[in-house]
Amino acid sequence: MEEYSDSEWNWDFYKELVDDVEENKNIIQCISCGKCVGDCPATKVSNFNIRKIIQKVLRGDKSVLKDSDIWYCYLCERCKRVCPKDNINIPLLIINLRNESFKKGYGPRYNDLRKYVEMSERFLIKGVVVEEQLGEPLPQERIDELNEICNFARIKYVFKASKTNKNKKKKLKKS
Amino acid sequence: MTISNLSLDLDEIERIYPESPLDFFRDKKLCLFKACLEKYFPGVRWGIQDLLEELGLDVSMCVNQSCCSGTFFQRNLITRAQFAAINERNIYELDQQADIVLFSCNGCYNSLMRGREFLKNQDVKRKTEEILNSLKKDLVIDNLKKYEILENLKIRFLHDLDFLYLIRNDVFNSLKFDLKDLKVAIHYGCHYLNLSRDKRTADAYLRDKTKLDELVTLFGGTPVDYQEREACCGWGASQLLINPKEALKITFNKLKSAESVGADFILMPCPTCLYTLSKPEYRDKMNKWFGEKLDIPTIHLNELIAILRGCEEERCITLRRKTPRLDEIFEIITRE
Repeated sequence: MEEYSDSEWNWDFYKELVDDVEENKNIIQCISCGKCVGDCPATKVSNFNIRKIIQKVLRGDKSVLKDSDIWYCYLCERCKRVCPKDNINIPLLIINLRNESFKKGYGPRYNDLRKYVEMSERFLIKGVVVEEQLGEPLPQERIDELNEICNFARIKYVFKASKTNKNKKKKLKKS
Repeated sequence: MTISNLSLDLDEIERIYPESPLDFFRDKKLCLFKACLEKYFPGVRWGIQDLLEELGLDVSMCVNQSCCSGTFFQRNLITRAQFAAINERNIYELDQQADIVLFSCNGCYNSLMRGREFLKNQDVKRKTEEILNSLKKDLVIDNLKKYEILENLKIRFLHDLDFLYLIRNDVFNSLKFDLKDLKVAIHYGCHYLNLSRDKRTADAYLRDKTKLDELVTLFGGTPVDYQEREACCGWGASQLLINPKEALKITFNKLKSAESVGADFILMPCPTCLYTLSKPEYRDKMNKWFGEKLDIPTIHLNELIAILRGCEEERCITLRRKTPRLDEIFEIITRE
């Protein structure tokens, strides 16, 4: 584990995260027992270490947003199950940190972002993540509602960006 | 306003109907939640639908239900409030139609529970209400504005595995074949194993999950223990896209561990895990990256019940993306 001196204690980052997602306040209860690390599928195949991530957050070390580590979590909730504290929600903290990372323009190194675009398209056009759903399709009125709910969501921007790219490609082909 | 936990109280059903828990469901309207991935594995849907119809239960699907959107929330593509709003819209529609919703997918089950859980946060609840109010402001049904966060919901949620275990004796009586002592590796899936609702009592938190094992034994098979029994399938929301090699290493370890103890197939209650553990492209990639071809078959519980009940092959497994040797298992089980 990385060593920090007393002068490096800084609660600003923690407060920011709690302002955004109130449930994050509970991470202060972490006793660094390491159960979450020992039982984590991501830790077995990568450098993902939730104890280290919580420590960085509590020390105000924002470098955690740039680290690729936060993008290795499987959101399997195993840590939540084995944590001796009742209300520490690590998967929610990870989703929050990823959100902050996205906002700052870091994000993960996607190998295949195309799949995200395809999934977003299907959801906003058909209301499912696969090509066609098994059985009757979702009525258009319901699909319109999903689009309205997703206004200003990242899913919509991904969808719009894909349409713009497609139009650009079409124009390029024509020219 | 109290946001209720919508999971069905199984202990109470067992207490009131100790002889035949199926009786509890006789006068109830059941609805099957449509999991997106059932498209690739139709036997997962048809397996439970056919069984319920044969048992004389009132079963339907909700045409207005959309994808649970859990995958988008987990990939940071929608906010908590947007996720909760999609969830509440689905719950509203399901509540119009049914008393109990059955889930064939751990992910959908977890999403519906989690969406409700998020509403306990007042900020998320307020934002969710704002989103819902912006939908169809003028449409009023039964004095309810469509849509709003419903306080006194009659609807309850039930995972297929919990349901099938509860009515196991009736399921057993409907079977035409048995498992012929096949060795079965059990995979529960993270979002069944790790549900936080199970932390309500120390007993529920500490006890091992054994329902699938017990069903396998009842159906004439032998559950085999293996080191990666409780391990993740490797799906991990976006992991197969962001970090495919690490994700497939987890999948490989799981399959290899089950194969090593001589399991004939892996049984699970979730089509997302099934997708990850069985997709032929993933098996090929694992062979390329880790130097070993694994051909252990994988089956969803609903598909297995359809096979054991003697359903036609196309009603169980034919239409899905097959894993190697699945036909072999089908033949062994259905041999007269």
